[in-house]
Amino acid sequence: MAEKDSTAASDAARWRSIVDSAVDGIVVIDERGQIEAFNPGAERLFGYSEAEVLGRNVNILMPSPYHEEHDGYLSRYLETAAKKIIGIGREVAGKRKDGTTFPLHLSVGEMVVAGERKFTGMLHDLTDRVNLEERLRASEARWRAVVESAVDGIIVIDTRGRIEAYNPAAQRLFGYTEGEVRGQNVRMLMPSPYHDEHDGYLANYLETGRQKIIGTGREVTGKRNDGSTFPLHLSVGETSLGGERKFTGILHDLTSRVAMEEQLREQAALARLGEMAAVLAHEVKNPLAAVRGAIEVIGTRLPPDTRDAAVVKEIVSRIDSLNDLMKDLLLFARPPRPNPLLVDISPLVAATADLLREDPALNAIRIDVEGSAPPVLADPGLLRIVFLNLMVNGAHAMRGEGRIKVSVETVDGECRIAFKDNGPGIPPEIREKIFTPFFTTKSRGTGLGLPTAKRLIEAHRGTIDVQCPVGGGTTVIVQLPAN
Amino acid sequence: MNTAARCLRVLVVDDEPLIRWSIAETLGAAGHQVAEAEDAASALRAIKDEPGPDLVLLDFRLPDSNDLGLLATIREMAPDTTVIMMTAFGTPDVTAGALKLGASRVLNKPFNMHDLQDIVRAF
Repeated sequence: MAEKDSTAASDAARWRSIVDSAVDGIVVIDERGQIEAFNPGAERLFGYSEAEVLGRNVNILMPSPYHEEHDGYLSRYLETAAKKIIGIGREVAGKRKDGTTFPLHLSVGEMVVAGERKFTGMLHDLTDRVNLEERLRASEARWRAVVESAVDGIIVIDTRGRIEAYNPAAQRLFGYTEGEVRGQNVRMLMPSPYHDEHDGYLANYLETGRQKIIGTGREVTGKRNDGSTFPLHLSVGETSLGGERKFTGILHDLTSRVAMEEQLREQAALARLGEMAAVLAHEVKNPLAAVRGAIEVIGTRLPPDTRDAAVVKEIVSRIDSLNDLMKDLLLFARPPRPNPLLVDISPLVAATADLLREDPALNAIRIDVEGSAPPVLADPGLLRIVFLNLMVNGAHAMRGEGRIKVSVETVDGECRIAFKDNGPGIPPEIREKIFTPFFTTKSRGTGLGLPTAKRLIEAHRGTIDVQCPVGGGTTVIVQLPAN
Repeated sequence: MNTAARCLRVLVVDDEPLIRWSIAETLGAAGHQVAEAEDAASALRAIKDEPGPDLVLLDFRLPDSNDLGLLATIREMAPDTTVIMMTAFGTPDVTAGALKLGASRVLNKPFNMHDLQDIVRAF
């Protein structure tokens, strides 16, 4: 018996030391909620000493509303035996002696000692974990906000090229929604040849570790969901997430920069062409003048109505054609600065149409001018050249027979002049080249008519646009700013 | 050939011999007295000679003159002499500049010999 007692005593001592040395808090209460045991772990958690809390209701360790409701939980359990926390465990809030609260994980076990039911609570402090989680959540929210609000596209892919993240800016760039691309191979956003080669690039990098784009960046081409392509700067970084390698691409749209560069290049090229044309024109026109003058003088000495006299006349007309070409080139390459006057557009179009009617080759063309607009500030001489070019083009497109309708109106405060012919229209493959100098589909033509019209209209800060409606024909729309 | 209402002393200044020849033949046939100069220096000598020309047909670009300075000099030396500029640089700037300095008109090269005849006849 004594041995048994001593065994029991040493058991109790062992348990006591376990309880005392536990890092977690251990609190034992009776059926009424009164604290019967409160280990040093609990003392550290709550700031009370065991002596201060023994015999007191455990609800002093709880903030509202648990503080008020705990007696009810306990009596309900004792009545119904419906376990809400016993044998399970959950995250709850604790209240320290100083009134501050903290998160803790509570698991409650039930035991019977000397015929009385007791409840043992094990309390694990969650302050650090909750803080960490909160910090992580805040950090994630911050990063998410950065990524979501970024102006540049951000795309994360895995080692197989599958898209894992795709921010709103990327959606604006490519037109696809995140749902449409998530899990898809990133090559869907690339035109050929990148489209076909990207898997190879990736495999090559993973195998050899040779960085071609990672860590640097370069200009590449993207492909939108409508199939169109655009220039972009891509920089790729590599990260490891949960032990997996990921690649983050940052995509900066270069469309406007490239367009601006192109415009600057075009302007520089036009300026060079202008200088060249001026020199060339002088060098050509001077000898042309010499040859023309001399051949004209010689022509006057030939008996009229002879073949020789006719040939001389032909020579003079060829020289005049050459001179016209030089004039056209100069007009395009070095257009005169507009000398603006208040111009009534409709009468100017009508007068230009009269000029066209004088050409016997075009007398089967009907030109109707409709509508009117308030006068605009423009150079009537230059506009007449533009209108004549456009009407001649229309007349040629209809092979010298048909109707050109010119409508003049005010649209959004601008003077809009539409030249509509009922010719065959312009094939799509040609349409993008029609403003390119020296491009022509006519057997005889310099290919300078439309480019010159464009330059002259742009010199007036206006626009020129060509439309080919489904019904056939071509409409050229000139828009000139109001005064 | 037409006989001119009045016989004019005309000086053609151009470094291109074919142009000088064409103009001399055309205006000579019309009864005018045509002298030729191939550069600015010889043009100025010809203008100093007595009697000076009634009309100077002056090219804009010469081996020893490349601007409107020669025109200004001629206008100063012989204010009563009519000057017609000839130029293959038919830019509005050149034309406006020449007219401002007192050229009576500007002919863009190449031009029609008939037209030249008409212009001279109108004197």
